[in-house]
Amino acid sequence: MDNEKRKALIAKIKTRLSRPMRYYLDLCTRCGLCYDTCHVFYGIPRKEYSPVGRAEVVRRIYKKYFRPSGRIFPSWGDAKEIDDHAMDELLDAAFSCTGCRRCMIHCPFGIDTPFLLSIAKVLLIENGTAPEELTMLADGAVEKGESISEFKEGYREVIRDLEKEVAKRIGAASPDGLIPLEKKGADILFVGLAGAHSIVNPAIIFNKAGASWTLSWFEAVNFGAFLGDPEKMQRIADRVVKEAIALGVKEVVIVECGTAYRIPKFLLGPLPFKVSSIVEVIHRYLKEGKIKIKEKAVQEALTYHDPCQLGRNAGVYEEPREILQSICADYREMTPNRAFNWCCGGGGGLVALDNEQFRIKSGRAKYDQIVATGAKIVVSACENCIFQLDTIKSGYSMDIEVKSLTELVAENLA
Amino acid sequence: MWDKVYYFIMIPMVYLAVATFVLGLLVKFIIVLSSPKPAGTYAVFPKRPLRFIGAVGEAFIVPVAFRKDKLFWLMIIAFHGAFLLLFLGHLELIREFIFLQIIPHKVFLGAGFVGIVLIVSVLYFLFRRFTSPWREISVPEDYLLLLLLFLTFIFGSHMSLASRYGIAGFDIPLDAYREYLSSLFTRNPAISQGIIASPHYVLVVLHVFFANLFLMLFPFSKMVHSVFIFAAQLIKRK
Repeated sequence: MDNEKRKALIAKIKTRLSRPMRYYLDLCTRCGLCYDTCHVFYGIPRKEYSPVGRAEVVRRIYKKYFRPSGRIFPSWGDAKEIDDHAMDELLDAAFSCTGCRRCMIHCPFGIDTPFLLSIAKVLLIENGTAPEELTMLADGAVEKGESISEFKEGYREVIRDLEKEVAKRIGAASPDGLIPLEKKGADILFVGLAGAHSIVNPAIIFNKAGASWTLSWFEAVNFGAFLGDPEKMQRIADRVVKEAIALGVKEVVIVECGTAYRIPKFLLGPLPFKVSSIVEVIHRYLKEGKIKIKEKAVQEALTYHDPCQLGRNAGVYEEPREILQSICADYREMTPNRAFNWCCGGGGGLVALDNEQFRIKSGRAKYDQIVATGAKIVVSACENCIFQLDTIKSGYSMDIEVKSLTELVAENLA
Repeated sequence: MWDKVYYFIMIPMVYLAVATFVLGLLVKFIIVLSSPKPAGTYAVFPKRPLRFIGAVGEAFIVPVAFRKDKLFWLMIIAFHGAFLLLFLGHLELIREFIFLQIIPHKVFLGAGFVGIVLIVSVLYFLFRRFTSPWREISVPEDYLLLLLLFLTFIFGSHMSLASRYGIAGFDIPLDAYREYLSSLFTRNPAISQGIIASPHYVLVVLHVFFANLFLMLFPFSKMVHSVFIFAAQLIKRK
């Protein structure tokens, strides 16, 4: 690695030195209380996959260039130069972390290791060694935001087909208008994903509830966040913000995607509309009597996996449980659950990477949790989690069914 | 020659250490407070009520450690509690901090027990780092700081215990320390004759030397966790 490149990388670190970042870089005493709290470490017990092991990869570089001791006496704190080997370590640390923040609640200082790893991600982007898949997906999403008019007609065609399916499922006479697009003044802007199921099931629920809603042109998923590129993350998020403002909606409802929900809800600052998860909206409709479900319709043992970005990082714990306990006769909790729940291993964009064997191993904690419940149906409320739970299911040859919460609700509407 | 070295450690180095400590922390605060605050919130859920009290409580009670490792937790609490008492004890050696003697009492109420608690807990932290998995995550700083604390405590404890119980003809009275520390505090520094004349003078010098090093390293080491823990806990609860 030449000096010019190294200088550019050091300059990138500076861009990430916000106030919390400085705390997290300086605070750690390496007490080791977080050591075994990462699901990856559970499945692959190596120091590199412990939260402190990951954080130290970043911290060592920070010390080298930003701490007097690192400059004068690098051995004191094991400060390391940025070189190709360090970049490989950063890649492994950053893209084996799902950003679940389970380590954070086990840290006596509350150090947010995924936040710290955002330094690793910007360095990898600058170095040109960030995962290509995520880079392409993020670029594609940004491009779509800039040239949405070119996509609209094709998308309308797709939606017309989906409307027919919705009409069939709810017994409507005509499919017209069952999935509204560009409806100004609607109460809700619903942001789905690329998959048809992420639009059809919520559309059934919205229609049954008689909601005033419209579908977004964009997918909720934010590959800029997964990639760790703050600028692309902002641009991808801004697409929906601008759309919501232009349509004058009161509420933006995000599909079952934890990160897509957390970004507008907590990371963008104040917005001129309410941000809700589809799970919260379903719960609200049930409470208001706008939709009804077949009570205890599911007889088999069922358990719920808390998506980290929806639960630990957004506080949506009780709504999915209340919904599931209505639908299901035999609801079982995983142990631990809620804030302490083990990550499934699919977050942080990891499911978009070519790493299935790694994810099967890092999903070991989730596998053990599911087996312990004895449940035959595993429900979650995040697309990444559903995908990863399916990988765990096939990887460990499990006799279970994996379902999304919205799908289960849509199937069991009275 | 040694007289000059001892004098340097006992007077100029103390001022240098305090100045490094204060300025180092000040610069650190300026850097941190001038760093941008990100938009939004980085909380974890469920959000606990009483944000400020909760953050202080979490910093002092360390429930995370209690959940995971009870012995480690006990040592953390013992160490930090004893350290606080030790700090107060040293303040009481300075005449100007008379308000600490509103209810008159003997200085270093712990009667040597505080020092022993600190030594035991530091040794626990140190030996813990020699075992797996903590050995793998430790860096030289972790061992050296604990060693530094151990050396500071062992000499300080020796002075306290020997003086209190008259061990081995230890003849430095408490008033000699009070005279010395007060002179430093009033910027009229002098090493009291009671200390200089004692054959145990070297032990005092060693204690002060290691304490000076501790103060000088504080702002530039992981010891700043004792200051920034509150801010980090507040972010978690924002």
